[in-house]
Amino acid sequence: MDERCKALWEKLSAALKPQVSPDTFKRWFSAVELTKATEDELTFVVPNNIYQFWIESNHMAALQSAITDAVGAPRTVRFLTSAESDGDDDFTAPEVRKTDGASHSRTVGLGLSLNPRNTFESFVVGPNNQIAHAACLAVAQAPARTYNPLFIYGGVGLGKTHLMQAIGQYLWAKKKTSKVMYLSSELFINEFIDAIQHNTLVKFRKRYRQADLLLIDDIQFLAGKERSQEEFFHTFNTLFDGHKQIVLSSDRPASEIANLEHRLVSRFEWGLTAELQPPDIETRLAILRKKARALQIKLHDDVYQFLATRIRSNVRRLEGALMRVASFASLSGKELTQETIEHLLKDILLEERRQMVTIEQIQRKVAEHFDVRLADMTSKRRPASIAFPRQVAMYLARELTKASLNEIGDAFGGRDHGTVLHACKLVKKRMKEQDNIRQTVSFIDSALQR
Amino acid sequence: MKFSATKEKLLEGLQQVQNVVSTRTTLPILSNVLLQAKEGAVHLTTTDLDVGVRGSFEANVDKVGATTLPARRLFTIIRELPSSEIAIEVDGKNAASIRSGQSFFKILGLPEEEFPPLPKFENAKVVTMRQKDLHDGLRKTAYAISTDETRYVLNGVLFSFKENKLTLVATDGRRLAMLDIELEFPRSHEADIIVPTKAVTELQRLLKDDGEVKISVGSGQIAFDLNNTLLVSKLIEGNYPNYKQVIPSEAKERVTLERETFLNSLRRVSLLASDKSNSIKLSFSKNNIEITANTPEVGEARESLPVAYKGRDFSIAFNPEFLMAPLRNLTEDEVFFDLIDEMSPGVLKIQTPFLYVLMPMRVSS
Repeated sequence: MDERCKALWEKLSAALKPQVSPDTFKRWFSAVELTKATEDELTFVVPNNIYQFWIESNHMAALQSAITDAVGAPRTVRFLTSAESDGDDDFTAPEVRKTDGASHSRTVGLGLSLNPRNTFESFVVGPNNQIAHAACLAVAQAPARTYNPLFIYGGVGLGKTHLMQAIGQYLWAKKKTSKVMYLSSELFINEFIDAIQHNTLVKFRKRYRQADLLLIDDIQFLAGKERSQEEFFHTFNTLFDGHKQIVLSSDRPASEIANLEHRLVSRFEWGLTAELQPPDIETRLAILRKKARALQIKLHDDVYQFLATRIRSNVRRLEGALMRVASFASLSGKELTQETIEHLLKDILLEERRQMVTIEQIQRKVAEHFDVRLADMTSKRRPASIAFPRQVAMYLARELTKASLNEIGDAFGGRDHGTVLHACKLVKKRMKEQDNIRQTVSFIDSALQR
Repeated sequence: MKFSATKEKLLEGLQQVQNVVSTRTTLPILSNVLLQAKEGAVHLTTTDLDVGVRGSFEANVDKVGATTLPARRLFTIIRELPSSEIAIEVDGKNAASIRSGQSFFKILGLPEEEFPPLPKFENAKVVTMRQKDLHDGLRKTAYAISTDETRYVLNGVLFSFKENKLTLVATDGRRLAMLDIELEFPRSHEADIIVPTKAVTELQRLLKDDGEVKISVGSGQIAFDLNNTLLVSKLIEGNYPNYKQVIPSEAKERVTLERETFLNSLRRVSLLASDKSNSIKLSFSKNNIEITANTPEVGEARESLPVAYKGRDFSIAFNPEFLMAPLRNLTEDEVFFDLIDEMSPGVLKIQTPFLYVLMPMRVSS
C-alpha cells in the first residue's frame, strides 16, 4: 500500500487494538491492508472472502469506531480480496454494488442530472407504493406504449423523485442514446422566461420537444403561470403526438391543483394517475434495513423497530433519523438506549406527533368499522347503533388529537362541548366494563396510528 | 393407468415426497405429484425445480401408465378415506377416479409429459456412506445455516470431500458448526459443494439410522440415493468462505460441562431474556459458573452451576439461542467449552471431530 494509506492504516490499527481482543486483532486484522482512502470510502484488501464476511458480521462497529477516531467521521468500508482484482464478491450486497458502479452523476440532455442512487433496485416496494412502482417499471420497460402520460402524486418524501429518476436511469442504462430529460417544472418555467427575454424561443422549443422521455417533477408549480402553462401545453402535445413518454409528479392529484388550465388537467389525467402513500410499518422496517445495508451500518434490531414505529410520515425523515442514529452510534461508541435515541431525535419526533390523526380520519375509520355512514357521525340521529359509534369517535378524537372539546363538538355537527365530554366518559366506562368494547376501541386506535 | 394399494403404503409413499412441493408455485404442474405405475410398484416424483424427490410404494398394478395429480389434494383425500384398500384409475384425459369402500373421488390432473424430469447424472462422482453418519452429521450442523438471503452462498451446508474425510460446515457469520466424518473415496472425487437449506431439511427427514446413502455429484447438481427414495437438488454456486480461519487456534480456559444440565440451566435462565436484551451472561469463577439474564423493567434470572473450573475469573455473554442450539442437537453427555476472553469466540467441542465456534455479545454493564 502507498505511504499515505500505510500511515492511515497504522492510525486505524492503533485505534482498533483497544477495542478488540489481541487474539481477534491478530487473527482478523493483521492480514488486512488499506489500499485506497477517499472522502467517503476506505477500501481494504483481505486475503480471502472469509475475512470480509467475518469482519462485516462481527467487527464492523469496532472498525467504524476506529475509523471515526482516526479520521473524524465514519466512512463507507469496502473489501477486496487479493485473489480477485475487483470486488466481485459473493458477499457484497447487490444494492451496494449497483450504487458503487454508477458513482458519477449523469447529466442528461439539458435538464438536471439524475441522482445515481435513485434506481428501481434501491426502491423499497410496499403496499403503499406498489401500483406506482409497477406503473413506473412498466413505463421504463416500454416507454410510450403503456401509460402515457404517467402522473404520480404523493406527499413529501414518499418517493416521487426516486421513482421518476429510476425510470430515467433504467432507460438510459438500456439505451445510451435515448434522450432522457429530467427537470422540475420550476426549471422549465425559468428557462421559458429566459427564452422569451433573450428571444431564443425556437431553441428552447427544439430542446424540450426532442426528448424521448420527459420527466417533470413538481408540476404543481405551473399553477397560476398562464403563459408557461400554454407553452407546456404545446410541448406536451408535440411529445405525446410523437409517441414520446411523459412522466409527471406532483404533491396532489391533477384535479386538485388550483389555477391550472382545464385542458392541462384533462391531459394529465389522460394516462395513469398513481398515488404514493406513506409506508406501513413493515415497509418502513424494510427501508431502514435496506438503507443500513447499503451504507454498511449495523445497528441493533430494536433501533430499527423504534425508528420504524415512531417515524411514520415520510421516508426522507426516516432515513435522516437513521443517519443521525448511526453516526451517533459510531462516533460515540456508546450503547444505544431508547432514551438516547429519543433525545437525539427529539425534534423529529416532535414533528411526527404534530402530524397525527385528524378528526375526519377518525370519523372515517370509526364509521367504516361500525358500518355506519360518515354522515351519521355529524347527524342528529339518536339510535344507539349510530350514537355509540359517534361517541367512540369523539372519545378517540379527544385521545388522539389536540383539539379542544369545542373543536371536537364542532366537527361532529355543531355539538356542545358537554356532549363530547359526556361521550368520552361514557366510552371510558364501557371500555372498563366490557372487554369487547375495549378491544374494538383499541383496534381502531391502532389502525389509526399505523 | 390402474392400480390398487393399501392406504398405509400409499400414504407413506406420498409423505416421502410431499414436502418438496412449494405452496407458491409459478407453474401449476409443480404443485402436482408424478405417478408412474410399473410392475408391482408406483413411483412418485415431486419437484420445485430446485429440489426433487422420488419415492415409491408397492401396489397391484393392473395397467401401467403415468399421470400427474395435485399433490396436496391427493394426500388429504387418501388420508380421509375410510377403508384400507384403495383403487385408483386414470383415464386418457388425466382424470383420476379414487375408490375406497363406499367413497368415490374424482380429481383432474395434468399429463405426465408436462412434468419436468429430474436431472440425469452422467459421469457423476459417487461416494457411498452410512445413512446414520450423514444424519448425525447434518443434525449437528444444520441449525447454524444462515437465513440471510443476501449471502446466498451461506444458505446451505458445505460438503467438503477431502483426504478421505467429509467435512460438513454451516455458518451465518455469528457462529459456525463443523463436523468431520471419516470416509473413503478416490482423490478424483475430492470436491467442495454447497447443498442448499431446503435439500438439507428434506434430507434430514428422509435419512434413516440404518442402510447406506449413495451421493452422486454432477455438474451443479447432487443426488442422494437412499435405496427406495431419491433426493436430487441444485447446488449453490459460489465459493464457500475459508471457514478454517474462523476457528481459534488455542484456548486459554477449558471447561467440561454436563451437556443436559447446562442446557436446562440455560433454558431456564433465558426465560428472562427478551428480544430487547437478548443475551445471557456466563460468569466463571472457581468451580462455578453463574448464568444470568436481565431484561430492564421485566426482571432477571440467575442460576449457579458447579463445574470443574480452575481458571481465572471472567465473564462472557452469548446469544442464548445460539448457545442452546448445538447443545440441543448433540447427544454426548459431556461437552467441552474452550474460551479465551470476553471479546473472543468460544468453541464447543466433544470427543469426536466436531466444533462449534460462537461469537460473544458485548457485555453491557
